[in-house]
Amino acid sequence: MKSYALFLGCTIPARQPNYEISARKSLEKLGIELVDLDNMTCCAPPPLRSIDLKTSLALAAYNICLAEEADLDIVTLCTGCFESLAMTNSLLRDNMKLREEINGILSAVGKEFKGVKEVKHYLQVLVNDVGLTRLKREVLKPLDNLKVAAFSGCHLIRPSKYLKFDDPERPRIYDSLIEVLGAKSIWYRNKLRCCGGLLRGYADDIALAIARDKIVNAVSAGAECIATLCPFCFLTLDLGQMLIKSTYKEEYNLPIIHYAELLSLSLGVDPKELALEIHKIKIDKVLEKIGW
Amino acid sequence: MSTIRFMEEIRRRYGGETIALCYQCGTCTGSCPVSKTSDRYNPREIIRLALLDNRQEVLYGDAIWLCASCYNCQERCPQGVEIAEIIFTLRNLAIREGKIPKLYEEFANNLVASGRLAPISKFLEKKRAEYGLPPMKPVDIEAVNKIFSATGFLELFSRSKGEKS
Amino acid sequence: MEEIKVGVFLSDCGGQLSKILDFNAITSFVKSIPGVTFVAQANEFWRGDGLKIILEAIESRQVNRIVVAESIPKVSEVAIAKAVEEAGLNPHFVEVIDLKDHCAWPHRDSPLEATEKAKAMLLAAIEKVKLMEPIERAEYPAVKSVLVIGGGIAGMQAAEDLAEMGFQVYLIEKEPFLGGLAARANRFFPTDDCAICIQSPSSLKTVANTSRKCVYRSGISELPNLKIYTSSKVVKVEGAPGNYRVAIEQRPRYVEIEKCIACNLCSNTCPVEVPDEYNAKLKTRKAIYITTPLVYPPAYVIDEKACKFHECAKCVEVCPTKAIELDQKPKQVILNVGSIIVATGFKEFDPSVIKEYHYDEYPDVITNLEFARMIDSFGPTNGAIIKPSNREPVKHIVFVQCVGSRDRRWNPYCSSICCMISLKHAIFVKETNPEIDVTICYIDIRTTGREHEYYYERARELGVKFVKGRPAEIIHDPATNKLIVEVEDEILKKFLELEADLVVLATAMVPPEDAKELANILGLEIDSDGFFKEYNAKLRPTETMHRGIYICGGATFPKDAPTASLHAHSAAIKAAKFLMNGKIVKDLKVAVVNEDYCGDCEFCPVTCPYNAISLVPKDNGRLVAKVSDLLCEGCGVCVGTCPVGAIELKHLKNNQILAQIRALLSINGSSKPLVLAICCSECGHAAVDSSGMAMMSYPANVRVLRVPCAGIIQVQHILEAFRAGAQGVMIVGCKPDGCHHGVGAQKAQRKVELAKRLLSEYGVEPERLEMLNLLFIEGDKFAEAAKKMTELVESLEFIKLP
Repeated sequence: MKSYALFLGCTIPARQPNYEISARKSLEKLGIELVDLDNMTCCAPPPLRSIDLKTSLALAAYNICLAEEADLDIVTLCTGCFESLAMTNSLLRDNMKLREEINGILSAVGKEFKGVKEVKHYLQVLVNDVGLTRLKREVLKPLDNLKVAAFSGCHLIRPSKYLKFDDPERPRIYDSLIEVLGAKSIWYRNKLRCCGGLLRGYADDIALAIARDKIVNAVSAGAECIATLCPFCFLTLDLGQMLIKSTYKEEYNLPIIHYAELLSLSLGVDPKELALEIHKIKIDKVLEKIGW
Repeated sequence: MSTIRFMEEIRRRYGGETIALCYQCGTCTGSCPVSKTSDRYNPREIIRLALLDNRQEVLYGDAIWLCASCYNCQERCPQGVEIAEIIFTLRNLAIREGKIPKLYEEFANNLVASGRLAPISKFLEKKRAEYGLPPMKPVDIEAVNKIFSATGFLELFSRSKGEKS
Repeated sequence: MEEIKVGVFLSDCGGQLSKILDFNAITSFVKSIPGVTFVAQANEFWRGDGLKIILEAIESRQVNRIVVAESIPKVSEVAIAKAVEEAGLNPHFVEVIDLKDHCAWPHRDSPLEATEKAKAMLLAAIEKVKLMEPIERAEYPAVKSVLVIGGGIAGMQAAEDLAEMGFQVYLIEKEPFLGGLAARANRFFPTDDCAICIQSPSSLKTVANTSRKCVYRSGISELPNLKIYTSSKVVKVEGAPGNYRVAIEQRPRYVEIEKCIACNLCSNTCPVEVPDEYNAKLKTRKAIYITTPLVYPPAYVIDEKACKFHECAKCVEVCPTKAIELDQKPKQVILNVGSIIVATGFKEFDPSVIKEYHYDEYPDVITNLEFARMIDSFGPTNGAIIKPSNREPVKHIVFVQCVGSRDRRWNPYCSSICCMISLKHAIFVKETNPEIDVTICYIDIRTTGREHEYYYERARELGVKFVKGRPAEIIHDPATNKLIVEVEDEILKKFLELEADLVVLATAMVPPEDAKELANILGLEIDSDGFFKEYNAKLRPTETMHRGIYICGGATFPKDAPTASLHAHSAAIKAAKFLMNGKIVKDLKVAVVNEDYCGDCEFCPVTCPYNAISLVPKDNGRLVAKVSDLLCEGCGVCVGTCPVGAIELKHLKNNQILAQIRALLSINGSSKPLVLAICCSECGHAAVDSSGMAMMSYPANVRVLRVPCAGIIQVQHILEAFRAGAQGVMIVGCKPDGCHHGVGAQKAQRKVELAKRLLSEYGVEPERLEMLNLLFIEGDKFAEAAKKMTELVESLEFIKLP
């Protein structure tokens, strides 16, 4: 049984039990042990990088040091956390000068970044540790050709120079993970484009316009839901549809579902266990289609 | 007031090194989800203003805060200009001038207070228990603040708050 | 051996120099040097009465070594050496030094010091000539035949030029047909005429009506002394300039050219269909095929990868002339040529790697070359502009410039012709189908050639739209089968979504994939962009480091047809000049190996910029270096590289270098510490000349030693200078990337770094040693550096190396 230090981040435990429950349940079912470490702090996301780059590197490196001490690779659910930690890990592994500087800072708390552990997104665990073949075998309730608009969020694939997750222009991994559950990952315009989530709170109008674009493109391509990996994308598109309704007077009712939820459902987890009431856009149509 | 050119000031900072390679092809703006939606943000224009040393306009303007950090521009730039990193560099510089958006200030406050974007409340812990989720692990807030103090973040942050008021 | 008698001839430049230098003192000093038998003074010695004095002294056997102090030595030494040779003395027994620009002018403010420096300069020259040995002149037979590699527009023209000049020419082409990239381009800018036009051989014009027809009807293939090998490539080259043995491998055609009547029965019968690369995959062709009706050779060819051979053999049955031979084998041909011209051209970059443009996914995204095939009446659509995806007519075309060029991820350079190609295509579309909407998205429009800007003007007048902005992405909408080009219009600062039926990518032009392999076979250098590197871009654009091997056309960089033609004619002239006398005459100013010391290391063969050194086994199994007298250019880079001092130059032996160092530093005559500047005789020494010519002054304690190339310098030379009393040493070479012998300046730089470390070990300040890289026109920098070095060593303690 493979074990990982679970890096939950801030948003998922505070606001999206549907994500946390489904991720924990599905990974557990697939034989992945998730260890909750003490003292993990904020991942040092773009807002912190915006204030001070060195602080953000030091904070991310601090989290990685905790995993290094526990001799565990990190797995993240949130793609934002994945980007912050994986980018820092890659930067500090390759740039010795920067590593020295950051270790100078970390010495204040008795830590040293060594660069000996991996930072993975849980999709990588599914592909590499579980494998598509086994995953396909484990599916109890196939998603019955559900037309899914795959949306990985930016920070799973970009900046590709550091994340090296998948081809930044033609990613395939996420789509293959959706299709292995029996759904269909459909083409829709500007599929890889940002949801605008990071502008929420600073320029809500722009953020909403970008989110609306995403919804419109998915709907016009015939999507029955958008599958997300990032709690911010989820909020932006799910809650966003309420705001689109009040701002643009447009109603799309396109379910936004975390991939982990789709995974749990296909693995046979009862929807009642998944805190699905969190969804602003109800996903009953999807549940119905896949036979729950 | 610094005496070096603004372009040099950016180029010397980590993340800003590639700015001078820009030849204004517009691939960044063409790739930008924000530019597509709003004319308030144009990464090519920000780089151009910076290369022509328009320090004030760049650092005190609204535009640098409108990047969604999606990195699409950076992936496609034919000259390898790290546009998203340059935007971070510009924001770092702006904050050193005391120019910090409220959202970021709140974010920093929460971080200093709890080591998280938002503190975990009693109510939340109760909800988690109801969902069958394990209790939240503690954050070593003392360690986090030691890091903030070692990087100069606390000082930087209180200074920019001070200058604002 | 004849007794050495040195004659010293002092020009006072019409009395100018004697105003500064004390010629009486100099004369009596020179007379006192052992071996000097004759001293004379005159206005000038390189012509007229002065030169007569030298010649009479030789003829009367009063002298057999000559030292001349004369101005402009770079010119005068040529005249003097020539005259001396006619008088019966080996011309290399002459040393010409410059007392004007190297002594009197720069030190005119301190005449006493200048006079002492003049003495040291003369002593060094005298010691050098005393140690000279005769240098023989060798003749090598040169075969009057040339191999031209590459049958595109450049190769064909170079081959035709040389064949018409009477050389035996072999033209080889890797494809089964001549023409290269040019022939596929349909039309050329800025002439708007057939891409396959070249000048007909004039010798054929007299017998037939061949004036200025296309390649295939120019009659080029009928030139009696031109032999063409298609489907062929060079696999091995041996020998030396003037006499190469080249092994060619020719793939079988499976069709006898002499028998084939191009009737097309074979192709009609052939059951195998494959994508047609020649027509940019816009249609298919058979396994037995011909590219277009107008080709040389006018014979079908079998595609080995596609044909089923004896399993099928239907073509053999139908061929009316029994031209098809399925059992043909590859052939090796050995050619004996005196010279080689590389004209291997360039190819289109594969834009699939720029994934956001989806070239490999969307059939309606094509390249400029594919578009050129489309608008060709011989092409895959017979000239119709259609959407490849559904063959429907096109209403909107968007051209995208700089695809894979000016892109640091792929090709950082500007491919230089793509703007013009897109303009040409846009104009063609507007002139033939004005209803089609054409937009060109660009970063910069570059129209730098003659008449090129008028093309841009014409395109605007025809209503072509120009959008300044590099597209970010090309999107295909499956619902409408339209393409959408997302681009920022930078001038309006507007985000545009241009709808298109066809997107044409102006892709970069890149070296062919086998360029590197050929460069290895020929020993040529490839530049950082992957193209063949010329000897000097400014003055010798078609020459390479190796005499006898020339490059032209797109092999050196993407170029348009006019430039490729010029290049081809230039290479042809260079090859003709090289071979026209049927022999190569050369004075053997070359490196020689002392086999007693040499052995079992490969520094010099690897370092030699001319591939002139090989390792040969001796009787005892030891490998020793062997210098090809023909290939060696006498630069001395090998000397600087040899760890045991087993190789030296015939024209500047180690004892001559050391004797000059000691002589130059044996007399000071000033209160300042001595500084030795070791200068390469290319740019370095010329920079010293120019500082004198421009009357710049620097102190007379600075002494100059001339060597062929800075690459000859060994650490021991530098140490010897310090031992002989120098307090500072300057090494003056060419610019690192402009060294006349390729690597010399860089090698010298490394020696300097090593010597600095050694000096530190001895407790000597490393800043007493300095490397300068100068151009001729940078005499000011030399004077400045000489002054600075003097000031530096004045501020330091006096040192004496043991």
